[in-house]
Amino acid sequence: MLPGVYGQTGAADGATGADWPHYGGTQLSWRYSALSQVNTANVKALIPIWIFQTGDYAENLQATPIVVDGVMYIITPRAQVFALDAATGRLIWQYRYPPVQAGNLRNSGVAVSDGKVFFGTRDNYLVALDQMTGRELWKTNVDDQKQCQCGISAAPLVVKDKVIVGGNGGDRAERGYLTAFYAKTGRVAWRWYVIPGPGERGNETWKGDSWKYGGGNPWMTGSFDAALNLVYWGTGNAAADFYDADRIIAGADKGKDVNLYTASVVALDADTGKLRWHYQEVPDDNWDYDSAYETILMDRQIRGRMRQTVVHMNKSGLTVVLDRVTGELLSVFSIPEVRNWITGVTEDGKLVGRNEPKLGKTDTFCPSVYGAKSWNSMAYSPRTGFLYTPTNELCNDATANDTKPVEGRAMMNAALTPKLPPNRTTYSHVDAWDPVTGRRVWSVPYKYLLAASMLATAGDLVFTGDPEGNFFALNARTGDKLWSYQTGAGHRGSAISYSVNGRQYIATPTGWQASILGGVAAGLFPEASFRLGSTLLVFALPEGAK
Amino acid sequence: MTRTLLLIAAGAVSFGQNLPDVLKQGEKVFAETCATGYCHGLRGTTGGAPRLVGRGFDPAFINNIVTRGVPGTAMPGFGESLPRPDVIAVVSYVASLNGVANPNIGAAGSAPAAPEIALSPGAARGRDLFSDATRGFARCSTCHELNRIGISVATPITQVPASASAARSLVTPHVSTATAGSEIMPVLVLSNTTRSVLLYDLTASNPVLRTLEPLSVKIAEGSPWRHASVIGSYSDAELDTILMYLREVVKP
Repeated sequence: MLPGVYGQTGAADGATGADWPHYGGTQLSWRYSALSQVNTANVKALIPIWIFQTGDYAENLQATPIVVDGVMYIITPRAQVFALDAATGRLIWQYRYPPVQAGNLRNSGVAVSDGKVFFGTRDNYLVALDQMTGRELWKTNVDDQKQCQCGISAAPLVVKDKVIVGGNGGDRAERGYLTAFYAKTGRVAWRWYVIPGPGERGNETWKGDSWKYGGGNPWMTGSFDAALNLVYWGTGNAAADFYDADRIIAGADKGKDVNLYTASVVALDADTGKLRWHYQEVPDDNWDYDSAYETILMDRQIRGRMRQTVVHMNKSGLTVVLDRVTGELLSVFSIPEVRNWITGVTEDGKLVGRNEPKLGKTDTFCPSVYGAKSWNSMAYSPRTGFLYTPTNELCNDATANDTKPVEGRAMMNAALTPKLPPNRTTYSHVDAWDPVTGRRVWSVPYKYLLAASMLATAGDLVFTGDPEGNFFALNARTGDKLWSYQTGAGHRGSAISYSVNGRQYIATPTGWQASILGGVAAGLFPEASFRLGSTLLVFALPEGAK
Repeated sequence: MTRTLLLIAAGAVSFGQNLPDVLKQGEKVFAETCATGYCHGLRGTTGGAPRLVGRGFDPAFINNIVTRGVPGTAMPGFGESLPRPDVIAVVSYVASLNGVANPNIGAAGSAPAAPEIALSPGAARGRDLFSDATRGFARCSTCHELNRIGISVATPITQVPASASAARSLVTPHVSTATAGSEIMPVLVLSNTTRSVLLYDLTASNPVLRTLEPLSVKIAEGSPWRHASVIGSYSDAELDTILMYLREVVKP
């Protein structure tokens, strides 16, 4: 059976097999491998099999490796792409994108399809390489980086004959969008603007010309349901955040549909890019909670009925379970322990007790703009039915200002200072949550901050790494730590599992991030050693032990 | 060595403005530009970017970083995007955070960026239309780079069409026709060697730079492609305004 399609049970199957073909594992974004050769009984025997050093130490290795037919494809923040023998680490080819003089380098990964390897660049090109040779086949400019200051850091999503990609820089004065290009030729197929233009439904939720600069960039990677032919994506918060007077209609009801379609989960027709439905998680997101993150497609029994759902979390830790056919809210829950931006959320998703930033005044908000969780992904195991997620307990002081938009300029209208919440000794945790009941099943605390993605496997294991360099495996049912390995550098990437010739491998990128969350962690924990790097480590059971 | 020299040069120049006012302005610029978002935090204490308090930075070093940025990091150069007085103020402010009692950076580091060409109000409107982001790919800057904005797909503009209709009916001699398998496409050929053919495919509204096998593609002179097909989002009045802009900035 192909991964990512409907299995014998009729439920969507988002498990990977020998390959790890997409950013989120399959297009359903579970980050779950059906391989079980490595399991709770033998994981303690895991050993490193091969190591690959990229040599590109700018902002470490954050990408999710892609594995297809025994070949691994990995990209560095400077857009150096490597094809490696996934069993041995032998270099097959490498490609170097010309150096770009632009800030905030990061890259979440490549996409592989149609005999090509696709990736986005910091200067805003989408590039296609020949999968066999690494030769450049086509490249096209998505938008003028000199003008918008935007770039592409997300892994593209391949959907049938198209490659879909959004742009980063959601906190700038620009109008976010997703663009689909034909995989074969690079020609544009469709573009969907997050913010509707004049005359389009939703534009009336914007004050004056603010729609032109309202942000909302869908800057991460979406999901795809082949049977429904719908693409799912999270959109960023409106710009500016912390100050809304220039973008919301005076007297607007903040309860629903403010500044559409920012801070939302959207479903688009895969062929045309037409909006099918939207669900706005944080109407008038004044706190930079950004809803741009992974959309996990799973089928679950809810209140006695099998539902096709999409599960999604934003940086506030607010997590919604939506019917992915209609966008109907089925369940909502909040994950972090420290929270003061709202006092609660009703069953129908209404935010209660909004703690709004005030112009010129310094207030403390929890969670912080760095997120209860940021772009690093959760994982979902159909065996346990749990979501696995890292959560940071962090606040920030914010002093709002009323800076006006200038095209391409930063538009995050607050001076921000991260702050540890009082009366705690640990500031993050790895949790298992039941998305149906919204109940936390287990939680493993950690002293510092966690920023790597989760990987779940059919061996009932959950893998992730910490900034001190430990890459570890937890029992997916209990949270017990079963194995840990010091990789030498912090973890800010996304681990995967795959197999070659019947042997299961676990691969993890390493290298802590210097800026943003990494900078915050260095400031808050000056005594700790969070090391940068750019190395891929691959583990397996010893030969003969499998 | 360079840093020392700059510091000496900086010390030799007097500051025209009252220092407390400069520091106050610097603190404001810092709060709105540097402390925001994922960056340095209020008063440079802590944030997503490095702490700036008490690092032993001298004014020339700070000025260099503020003006040029740090390549490969999130730190942009503000030499062109901030007015020079704001750069001076914010550098003085950050220097004060580093214990420099009398920051005086008027001549430190690089000179301010060359001023942009002063445009008439009509030409300024034309410049905005030239790169109007609300048009997506259907804007001039998708194919033309001018005055540091746009993608240089086409050769630099050296002649300005006389009128909107002349701009529409422009026939470029550079566009030819490529046939590759079942594809027939209007193209701009960049290079054609025995190893590869590099060309811009102009079929869709986004030009695609494609690398093709020489044996798989045939290039023929001429094409039915017309400039009118890519500037359809502009009215005649808008094109006239863009032409005003071109007349003021295009160097024949």
